[in-house]
Amino acid sequence: MTSKDTVKPASEVTRRNFLKGLMGGAGAAAAVAAFEALADNPTVLLAQDNNSVANYPAQALSSAGEGGPVDVLERMRAELRRALQKPSAERRWVMVIDLRKCVGCHACTISCVAENKLPPGVVYRPVIEEEWGTYPNVGRRFVPRPCMQCENPPCVPVCPVGATYTNEEGIVEMNYERCIGCRYCITACPYSARVTDFGFTYTQDMPEAEGLILGQAQADDYERAANFEYGKSYPREGRNSPVGNARKCHFCQHRILEGALPACVTTCIGRATLFGDANDPDSLVAKMIARPNVMRLREELGTEPRVYYLV
Amino acid sequence: MAQAVASPESMSPAEGGRGAFKLRWTDIFIVLGVILLIVGAGGMAQRLTQGLAPTNLTSYVPWGLWVGFYDYLVWLEVGSLLTFTALFYLVGMTVLKPVKPVVLFTGFTVVLMALIIVLLDLGHPERFWHVLLYPDFGSMITWMVWLHLAYLIVLALELGLTLFGNERTEGLMKWLSYLSLPMGLALIIVSGSIFGVIATRPLWNTASLPLMFLISSLAAGSGLLTLLVVLFWPDKQDEQYRQIVQRLARLTSVLLAGGVFAAGVIGFTMLYQGSGSPVRAEGINLILSGPFAWSFWIVHILLGVIVPLVLMISMPRRPLMVGIAAFLSTVTFVAVTLNVVIPVLVTPELEGLSTAFVDPKLDVNYVPNMMEWMTLSFIFGLGSLFYGLGLRFLPLQSRHQEVNHD
Repeated sequence: MTSKDTVKPASEVTRRNFLKGLMGGAGAAAAVAAFEALADNPTVLLAQDNNSVANYPAQALSSAGEGGPVDVLERMRAELRRALQKPSAERRWVMVIDLRKCVGCHACTISCVAENKLPPGVVYRPVIEEEWGTYPNVGRRFVPRPCMQCENPPCVPVCPVGATYTNEEGIVEMNYERCIGCRYCITACPYSARVTDFGFTYTQDMPEAEGLILGQAQADDYERAANFEYGKSYPREGRNSPVGNARKCHFCQHRILEGALPACVTTCIGRATLFGDANDPDSLVAKMIARPNVMRLREELGTEPRVYYLV
Repeated sequence: MAQAVASPESMSPAEGGRGAFKLRWTDIFIVLGVILLIVGAGGMAQRLTQGLAPTNLTSYVPWGLWVGFYDYLVWLEVGSLLTFTALFYLVGMTVLKPVKPVVLFTGFTVVLMALIIVLLDLGHPERFWHVLLYPDFGSMITWMVWLHLAYLIVLALELGLTLFGNERTEGLMKWLSYLSLPMGLALIIVSGSIFGVIATRPLWNTASLPLMFLISSLAAGSGLLTLLVVLFWPDKQDEQYRQIVQRLARLTSVLLAGGVFAAGVIGFTMLYQGSGSPVRAEGINLILSGPFAWSFWIVHILLGVIVPLVLMISMPRRPLMVGIAAFLSTVTFVAVTLNVVIPVLVTPELEGLSTAFVDPKLDVNYVPNMMEWMTLSFIFGLGSLFYGLGLRFLPLQSRHQEVNHD
């Protein structure tokens, strides 16, 4: 795959060609040009993220230049943008986690916490560490556990108020405003992928000592700021939702809709987490889930998870 | 109806005139209620200001003490009313009429307590009305809430007609009672189904669980009915009283023994690991030999089943002994509901999850803390105070004395 048709004009500086310029053979000149462009317009990098989906390159770019190997992240980004051109009902988002590549760094967990501004006690994507065997025949494995976004989600029919449902792209969503916090969905999830937001904040016991430390009032600005789950804005105020609600991984739906991969995928240092549209036969995930070494958690329950593991 | 031969004890303060306010034994409920309210005020204050955060509930053990007590109260309320209505209207045991008002009032009080407990267990109790406005009838909880509220209304009407009705409302009263039978049955079955339909929890996910809820509810309710007869029967010297107590003791014994037998058969089947579920067996073993096995063996089996059975079978014509047996059986049934709810949830669904991301609220261990007990104390205080005030100011006992002296 090449970037021939999609390379932007030099005046249109992006993060990608900025870095590319730094690393490439004409690094110095490109870097100077890029810095000049940034100095003229410091918001240009951010503006890139706000481009409409239609303007995204449909082909993956190679950081090694035209014709070079393409990072799977680039490929998945291009596939994501391609999928976004389709009607939403024609997409089927799946996640593939290659357990042979996961090194247990927990970067995905932390990036998820940061992306969704998760408070203490709320985690969407823990990484389970497994050890087995008897010395010297021992094994160790790391199993990231996001929400499985089941095709037959046991958490959905048990909700008494219809506050959780599967959207047309297959993501199991929450309606925080409707949820009454009965936690029935939590008991019903076979993967313990739902958690309760008990209302804690990281800074709640921090003292105030103005001029001496960064006290609570300033320090908690960050965690009081809104997250953007489900495309809405949820500032952390008092006991307002999502405090008191069940919460869960949503494949960073708010990022997907903007053409960005889920935070856990982007930050996976081993490229162990793949994401894409399984309805696209040319997508990386579609090819991966057709492999014989693929498995899903607790398949015997018939939940049909959309998270696959390569073993 | 004959004029009441109202003893001073049965008169309300208004009837007794100024200065005739005398303490009755039933005022112990008022005193107890006030004590429990004081003891529990701190817990309730925490619940109201901090939500569920101060509880020991976690994301992996989302239900605990309060849900266990909720189910217990549902068993008591529905079981006692089902037993009473079946005996009174279906078996024709109309001699129970003197205790009818107090049985209905007890059931009404227990329903209210149960609803308050389950309301406080919600993360957003202020949104409880969502279940009425946006109901999803695919959920067992929706059915439970609707049935419970409908049951409360029927019960309130029954109670109102019993207390303030006359001969003309007898027919309506009878139909309401008939209506309460299928409603009560449905409520118990739905309460059991809330757990029974959860496929991922093997110990819950059995077709027998809702039926076990029904049997247990009848056993617990029969015990409560027996206790109410012993406590509130107007003429304790009456031979009829001993006969009724004897019959109720027999019924409670049969239900208790039957319930234990059925639970035993189901338990042994689940423990068989040849082709059964190891997770299911693990859950049973946790109940039988886990850290809280004492609640099963000592509280439920010994104090709730064996001692009551011995007392009721060996001394069925001694109301005091039967009353003690019924009290023990009724009170200790809570160990059953707690053992239904908690051990299943503390059995992790995925091994290693609680150490994958460490936080007190991501733990699979659960023991109710002081705040949870205090909140419960507050709710029982409310219930006890309401009950005591009802017994003092409503014609619950004077009416049955009228009837008895007919």
